Amino acid sequence: MFALQLALSGLAQGAIYALVALSMCVVYRATTVVNFGHGDLVMAGAFVLYLLAVLAGLPFLAGALAAVALLFLLGVAIEVGLIERIKAGPHIGFALMCIAFGYVLRGIARGVWGREVLPMPRVFDFPPLVLGELVVTGDALAVFGVVGVLLALFFLLFYRSSAGRVMQAVCQSERGAALVGINVRAFHGVMWGAGAALGAAGGVLVAPITLLHPGLGAIFLIKGFAAMTLGGFGSLGGAVAGGLILGVAEQLVGGYVSTKLIDITAYLVIILVLALRPSGLFGRAIAERV
Amino acid sequence: MRFYLLPLAACAIPLAANPYTQFVVNLMLVYILVAVGFNLVLGNLGQLAFANTALFGIGAYAAAMLMAHAGWPFWAAIVPAGLAGAAAGFLASVTALRGIRVYYLAIVTLAFGELLRWTYIHGEAATGGTDGLAVPKADFFGIALDSETARFYAFLLIVTVMVKAVSNLLRSKIGRAIVAIRDNELASASLAIPTGRYIVAAFVLSGFVVGVAGSLFAVLIGRVIPESFGLIELILHFAMVLVGGLGSLTGSILGAVALTALPEYFRRFPGLYEMFFGGLLIVFLLAQPRGLAALAARWWPALRERYYREN
Repeated sequence: MFALQLALSGLAQGAIYALVALSMCVVYRATTVVNFGHGDLVMAGAFVLYLLAVLAGLPFLAGALAAVALLFLLGVAIEVGLIERIKAGPHIGFALMCIAFGYVLRGIARGVWGREVLPMPRVFDFPPLVLGELVVTGDALAVFGVVGVLLALFFLLFYRSSAGRVMQAVCQSERGAALVGINVRAFHGVMWGAGAALGAAGGVLVAPITLLHPGLGAIFLIKGFAAMTLGGFGSLGGAVAGGLILGVAEQLVGGYVSTKLIDITAYLVIILVLALRPSGLFGRAIAERV
Repeated sequence: MRFYLLPLAACAIPLAANPYTQFVVNLMLVYILVAVGFNLVLGNLGQLAFANTALFGIGAYAAAMLMAHAGWPFWAAIVPAGLAGAAAGFLASVTALRGIRVYYLAIVTLAFGELLRWTYIHGEAATGGTDGLAVPKADFFGIALDSETARFYAFLLIVTVMVKAVSNLLRSKIGRAIVAIRDNELASASLAIPTGRYIVAAFVLSGFVVGVAGSLFAVLIGRVIPESFGLIELILHFAMVLVGGLGSLTGSILGAVALTALPEYFRRFPGLYEMFFGGLLIVFLLAQPRGLAALAARWWPALRERYYREN
């Protein structure tokens, strides 16, 4: 029972990692840029929600939607204003650019937040679900519900709609997609926006259930990477599965070994997976043979 | 010989400096070594890496632990600090031998660096945990480094030797191989360069240089705490290398000298530090991606660096 209860709370945490990992994966698949500032976009989502809901007094749902919409615009702006302009340079330039804007976002958050850790008032006020001896908290129910709906929407859109086919086309071959008349530059902007918005949704979900601080971004970045690596880099479904597994693994390690180790589970996962099975659970081989 | 003119001229600095400016100059020397070491990986190898603060930290901790726990004099702890950094560099990059490259390798270094920092915090018995470890009085071959001026001359000697060594290394077979891998790994492999091994070699060499810098940092600050080697520090390292110029030794020196004194000014306003250095990186990436070194070389062509020895 103890193990099952741990696994359940792990799944709730893992659902958020899954969302973050998926949103990183979207940008990576669409533009081949690994966004090292993505964690800070997640943090920014939570931060904007805090500003709107607590300081400006908007209702939670309106604040959440506004935060996601604002982060979509920020994602587009970053792509058009920063990433697109250094397209000709080496790949290390993109990565440094992502790191740079991540730090700027973190600095802005710290400037407004100050040095303290902020609690958000609780929003998900559902009674807990009791299944025999297992208890699913209201927070966990809300997270499962929202993440489930978002994932279902995303995969339907990506695999079943005509817009999704455009996305798949560009992911497979930029040049080919451009030749059949797809506006690849606009597509990149939109995908950055979509990635940022999905990430912000993750931030919006964690805001009411954890303490907020500007360092949150760095934590989510590593959890997202761990989930992506575990699932196989670039695999959309793998990112989701990896996030869920990571969440459960953290709780099991915390429950049976030591709570101190929860923080480093993600680091160990990254190192072990890339050292032992670089393609992860569902990905294609990434190791280059030269 | 031209190489030694700058350190010789620098010998006159203590004549004009008060203890505080002398401290800042000493810190510059430490950061010159940090930037030169980081640049080996970031600029010359062209590999993104996040473990640099961890390498810096392991050098500082190794020196502090040898001096505090084992009672070694400072001068004897410098090389072990470098070796500790080199070992960490090896561990951070060893997956390169299995074909892990570019972003994946960067992510491994990120995880490895955070893992090391976690160890500093939780290895209380050896590292003092979050309170850190006090560094005993430093002894440099019988001379007590108890004033900023004394530290300055010792540091200047060490940094000059190390930078000269890196400069020679870059103009050797190893240095050219590392740059060749950056420019085209496939072509390098076809020239029989074992690329995986050279990638690890670059990390190991970088780890050695940065580890030595860590030992100097420990002695200069007097206390080693995990906080000094976190993400706040990392952006400073990135900024120094990029602002100076990726892959340029002169650039690393310029970047370190230009940026070392700045963090002190941002301390009073939370967040300003991150905004400034993040913004600085963005400005340089957009407007001057090759850094100050390229600007300087435009006015003074003698600064242009070559990958061969001039006889």
